[in-house]
Amino acid sequence: MKYDVCIIGSGVGASGVGHTLVNAGKKVVVLERGGFLKEKDFSKDEIAYCKRDIVTPNLEECYHTIEDLEDGEWVKTTTTQTESSFFNGNIVGGSSNFMSGYFHRLKPVDFKLKSTFGEIKGANIVDWCITYDELEPYFEKVERIVGVSGQVTPYKYHEPRSTKDFPYPPLDEHPISKIIDKACAKLKFIPYKTPRAILSRPKEKRNNCYYSNYCGSYPCASGAKGSARASLLQPALKTGNLTIITHAFVKKLNEKNEKVTEAVYIDTQTKKEHQIKATIFVVAGQAVESSRLLLNSKSKNFPNGLANNSNQVGKNLLFSAGGVGSGQFDANSVPLKDLMVEGLFVNRSLCDWYEIDGMKGGVIDFLFEHANPISKASKQKWDGDKLIWGEELQNKIFKKFTTTKQLNFEIFNDWLPTDNCFVSVDEKYKDIYGVPVANIRIGSHPHDLKIGRLLAKKAEAVMKEMGAKNIGSSISSYPPSNLQAGGCRFGDDPKTSVLNKHCQAHEVNNLFVSDGSFMPTGGSVTYTWTIYANSFRVGDYVLGVLNRG
Amino acid sequence: MTRRVFILAVIGAGTALALLPQNAKTHIDIAPFKIIQAVQETFFPKGLKAPSALEFGATNYLLNVSSHSSFLKSDLTFLFYGADLLINDQNDFLTMNPKERDEALRDFVNSSDKAENWASLLLFYTLEALLSDPIYGGNRNELGWKWLGHHTGQPQPKVKFAEVVS
Repeated sequence: MKYDVCIIGSGVGASGVGHTLVNAGKKVVVLERGGFLKEKDFSKDEIAYCKRDIVTPNLEECYHTIEDLEDGEWVKTTTTQTESSFFNGNIVGGSSNFMSGYFHRLKPVDFKLKSTFGEIKGANIVDWCITYDELEPYFEKVERIVGVSGQVTPYKYHEPRSTKDFPYPPLDEHPISKIIDKACAKLKFIPYKTPRAILSRPKEKRNNCYYSNYCGSYPCASGAKGSARASLLQPALKTGNLTIITHAFVKKLNEKNEKVTEAVYIDTQTKKEHQIKATIFVVAGQAVESSRLLLNSKSKNFPNGLANNSNQVGKNLLFSAGGVGSGQFDANSVPLKDLMVEGLFVNRSLCDWYEIDGMKGGVIDFLFEHANPISKASKQKWDGDKLIWGEELQNKIFKKFTTTKQLNFEIFNDWLPTDNCFVSVDEKYKDIYGVPVANIRIGSHPHDLKIGRLLAKKAEAVMKEMGAKNIGSSISSYPPSNLQAGGCRFGDDPKTSVLNKHCQAHEVNNLFVSDGSFMPTGGSVTYTWTIYANSFRVGDYVLGVLNRG
Repeated sequence: MTRRVFILAVIGAGTALALLPQNAKTHIDIAPFKIIQAVQETFFPKGLKAPSALEFGATNYLLNVSSHSSFLKSDLTFLFYGADLLINDQNDFLTMNPKERDEALRDFVNSSDKAENWASLLLFYTLEALLSDPIYGGNRNELGWKWLGHHTGQPQPKVKFAEVVS
């Protein structure tokens, strides 16, 4: 059978394309590396979802090599050595099953970073080849179709909206949100009500949020979280036009006459190889793995990898810069009955410094420390550099669980694209299927740390005003492995970009890349909403291509 | 002595084996668990406010989860290796009283970074046993959660390791 479209991956970047096409009557096959777990299968099992490689490949099956700068030299280690996986959610719906769903749109300025702020030495900053206005209808579509709850908070850098407010009202808030608001009022900061891709009211077959207290890092058992699976793929299956093949690791795209002819995948359960034929192929395996697939798809026409005759595939990989910080609260600062309320959301951000001192800034999100008890307890086993146990450890754990709560903040600012952050492949390092693994060089630009530190001071000021103790922050140049973009940037010039403005490969016109890989700069917010919006945009274009024949 | 009887003798009847999957019993080298159990009982001894390692099933948990494919082989190797190191360093560890064991363990942990890393890893798995869902064989009768007034997330797992039930 030949499908209209074959999509590699089933996450946010894949599902907008798939949803659009199957609803227009096109036959689509989705190849997903992992299994298909649904609401009835999900639980809040810390061991399965947070402590073991259950929903990501076992690192003995597939790993990454990481190149980090040590004493002026790039040193390569494998993730099997460091036990830090760069895989995120290999199940139907991808890592969106495990997101917290903090949803921020990009701002108009993110589309024209270079022309607004100028060049920064050592960074490959460019303007996007589309504008915010071209993506805005799709941001709105995500609010409606995926489901975003919230309430618009006006502030200086708020992006233009085509609708007045969010289609779903805000989720219920924790008592501490009011204390944040009070502190912000005193400091003349604007407490921004964080929109969430979580339903506050039921939508079709999906139930509303039940405030489980275990949201981020866990799949949602009610369908409230707007994962690609719950919001788009499960409904899309009802059309009868969508086929999802699970446990399908795509090792190569075969090409003939500058067109992709088939996707070759290995069934990870039977270890057998299969081929899928389609008119159009869409790659959306998350940035690192998408670049890896193209780089490993070598042919006579493309000796350096598919669509890579300009040597741009894998280049300008992006993560999210910034860091984390925290403050402790106890009965001295907040009544214990309020502080210990479980399940409700903080849903506060600070966006006042999206531009700061004539530079691009970022956003700050507030959230409580995760309720995961094993993680919380195991952080108590050190007293400075001394390992403690027995009564000393027990008293520390008991106090932590019963008398205090930690409010965290996360800072998001641009991870500037540089020549030192990219994906490559190396024949020396292969997975158990004999396919070269992705090598990730994780160099960052010092400017990223500068902005992160400026933002951390603002967040710490709020914590101080709230009466928190032990306030601190850590701004790091180490990449968050779950926030990936870039590697196949889009642009008008085939010499400096992999994709055109429709996310179609310049060199292979039946090949599209629809995950975050297309982004030439990342913006100062988490990527999910942008990837969803762009996936719907690419879906519309692919539909047009198919209809034109 | 058959292997099963031997295992019961070292671990203590009724603590571990009832919940062990049949296939796991043939694959696990049980002997080091005797040392591991003694250390876990030092981490969480009897007679304090928290449940003891024996009460919440610390070793039972480790026996269960270490037989699953998701358990890092390198961790299991290191746990066994460290148990060996401890016995070589503190020959009488298993026959000591609880106070002596605590002191001997402190001496051992202070003796090298390797010893400290080993104790830290074993303590981590002991805390997993204290606070994971009882389906894995630890946190018996939810003793760990009850001690801390902790409310677990719903739904709780019906199967281990997020296996799909068809």
